[in-house]
Amino acid sequence: MIYLDNAATTVPDEGAVNAALQFLKIDGFYNPSALYRAGFAAHKEIEEARRTILSLIAPQGGYELVFTGSGSEADNQAVFSSARRGNFVTTAGEHAAIYQSAKELEKRGIEVRFAPLRSDGSADTEALLSMVDKDTSCVSAIHVNNETGAVNDIAAIAAAAKKINPALLFHSDGVQAFGKIPFALTKDIDLYTVSAHKIGGVRGVAGLFRKKGARLSPYIFGGGQENGLRSGTENTFAIKQFEFAAKKKFSSLKEDFERIRSYNLAVRQGLDKTIFRVLSSENASPYVLSVSARGLRGEVLLHMLDDAGVMVGTGSACSSKNRYSRVILACGLDERSADGVLRISFAATTTLQETEQAIGIINSCAASLAERTK
Amino acid sequence: MEKVIIVRYCEIHLKGKNRGYFEKVFMNNLEKALTGIRHEMHKPSGRYVVENFDEERADEIVERLRKVFGTHTLSIGYKVPADMQTIYQTVKTIAPSEGTFKVETNRGDKKFPLNSMQINAEIGGRLLSEFPALRVDVHHPQTVLNIDIRENGTALVFGGFVKGAGGMPVGTAGKGMLLLSGGIDSPVAGYMIAKRGMVLEGLHFHSYPYTNMQAREKVEELARLLSGYTNGMRLNVVSVTHIQEEIHKHCPDEMMITLLRRFMMRIAERLCKQTGAQCIVTGESLGQVASQTIEGMTSSNAVVTIPVLRPLVGFDKTEIIERSRMIGTFETSIQPFEDCCTVFLPKHPLIRPKLAEVEAAEEKLDVEALVQEALATLETVKF
Repeated sequence: MIYLDNAATTVPDEGAVNAALQFLKIDGFYNPSALYRAGFAAHKEIEEARRTILSLIAPQGGYELVFTGSGSEADNQAVFSSARRGNFVTTAGEHAAIYQSAKELEKRGIEVRFAPLRSDGSADTEALLSMVDKDTSCVSAIHVNNETGAVNDIAAIAAAAKKINPALLFHSDGVQAFGKIPFALTKDIDLYTVSAHKIGGVRGVAGLFRKKGARLSPYIFGGGQENGLRSGTENTFAIKQFEFAAKKKFSSLKEDFERIRSYNLAVRQGLDKTIFRVLSSENASPYVLSVSARGLRGEVLLHMLDDAGVMVGTGSACSSKNRYSRVILACGLDERSADGVLRISFAATTTLQETEQAIGIINSCAASLAERTK
Repeated sequence: MEKVIIVRYCEIHLKGKNRGYFEKVFMNNLEKALTGIRHEMHKPSGRYVVENFDEERADEIVERLRKVFGTHTLSIGYKVPADMQTIYQTVKTIAPSEGTFKVETNRGDKKFPLNSMQINAEIGGRLLSEFPALRVDVHHPQTVLNIDIRENGTALVFGGFVKGAGGMPVGTAGKGMLLLSGGIDSPVAGYMIAKRGMVLEGLHFHSYPYTNMQAREKVEELARLLSGYTNGMRLNVVSVTHIQEEIHKHCPDEMMITLLRRFMMRIAERLCKQTGAQCIVTGESLGQVASQTIEGMTSSNAVVTIPVLRPLVGFDKTEIIERSRMIGTFETSIQPFEDCCTVFLPKHPLIRPKLAEVEAAEEKLDVEALVQEALATLETVKF
């Protein structure tokens, strides 16, 4: 099978799993809050992981990192901690973790403003900034759109938003960016979400970068772990595996980026242009490529590809609820085009041979489906 | 004082010489429903008594037996030696200490020294003198305390009835093939037919890759839920993907549903012959959707010779939903997975298909080859 749904999750890095396994075993399983030596040793391992991951994208001494249980949890914590009054400004291209949190904020009486998208899925920055005012308590803009790969210049958006209202907090969901595109946190970004399992980590651990001094309240209360910001006994194994996987990913980030860009280009050029239209712009993250086969049903094509040995994602579903992707529609696509969306997403583990094979299979399945439903 | 569960049956008592057969099937079904639970089952005349089980599982046993068709009512009670002192002590444990009550006695053992009325008076009188806040009300009591004097020197004491599923024991009325779509109606149709004693097999048609695995999983869950009533169920799953593609390619769009249903009926009839089923059961309700008109039904009936039972034909949607909720399939049925892909669904399906036109349209298809091809995709799952 050829796996091209890496924006959904990636295969855990085996080396990182093996290196972290000791923390599930008799010598390393101890509670990091325990006061005996073995507990303290586990605590030190977690602090080392924190320092390592912080060093990958944050200026030294400028940020803290809170380990959470998932990217969604980190997004929720950021939003509900920051958007407590006035209005909350975000984009129509957010992951559900932000979008549904925004919907919940509306129910709680906070005004939510959704900035429209451009056709490639990036936020219309001008429109977004026009929504920011003195009453805005938080702005959250996704870094790399998980459906189209569109990259928002969050450093610029954060700086411009802070110029309008220096008191607001700026958050970004960086789950599809971290470890994939070259990037470093800049001073106007207060909170930034990352997740382990999109870069070879295991599920069950993610992180929220917090600029020192930025307001952040706990979302889960209890034993006071993570400086009181995220209670719950730390998952030493998952955190260490995250550290090892992230370190490895960043060590070859630029080379991988270029290599994946060449695969992305190959798919763009190789897909049958009479059937597919590429939705992702050329300066999108190379790891996510969204295409639409107008008139075909994306999920049907997905099943055919599955049978033919290629796993991809889709923007539509054979379900009367959530039939079309909210984000794809916000890009301005008509329903027939939105129905035929496929998301092809790469990881550093993807090979050229797999990519080339997949192009052939995708073309032949789409041609077959077009013929069968003509 | 041993806790027991008493099960009473419905219409079986109306049976004459073949009553023994119905009772035997019913008891087998009760036994099957209790698979995995330690118990003993006895059959004193006209009822079944479950004994020797772990008392904390009593509610679970009642819940399982309640669903067995043929069950009229159930009671949780006690089996005790049939002497008045013991009976009274047992009645006391289930009697309230205030409010209104009456004692009702059934005396199976005619040699018992007191008759029913005397037992009622004796036990009622003792309760009244021990609990001054109790009052007798023979017409509308808050609590009825039942005593059943059996032939073997024992008595059953119980304080209420749980309503059973009713109907006839599954296995006493032949076998049918239920077309199970994944919607609200077909599980209800299956329930109603099984309630009259029919053994059911399910038949689901999918059109993967145009439908997804969640839709299939939903139908399997419906079959599993139904199997709680039907004494187990085998689900047959057949692909009609190629049939839909061929109809789409060669026949008028508006005839898709009419023609597809004819294929489904043909496949169902073949499977009936293979499995020994004697009829097809569908969840159609007259006029509910475009294909469920009398013309639509005529068109699909025309390709089969065995009976087609449509137990919901005269039901409103709201009535069907009510039953679906009652039997516990509604929440699964409304999961939003399409069982039939809308890729091929016409905007304006034919409401009153004329048989001659339908048959003419079908001539463009190799019907027999398509039926055989579909049958070759058969998969079965047992619940």
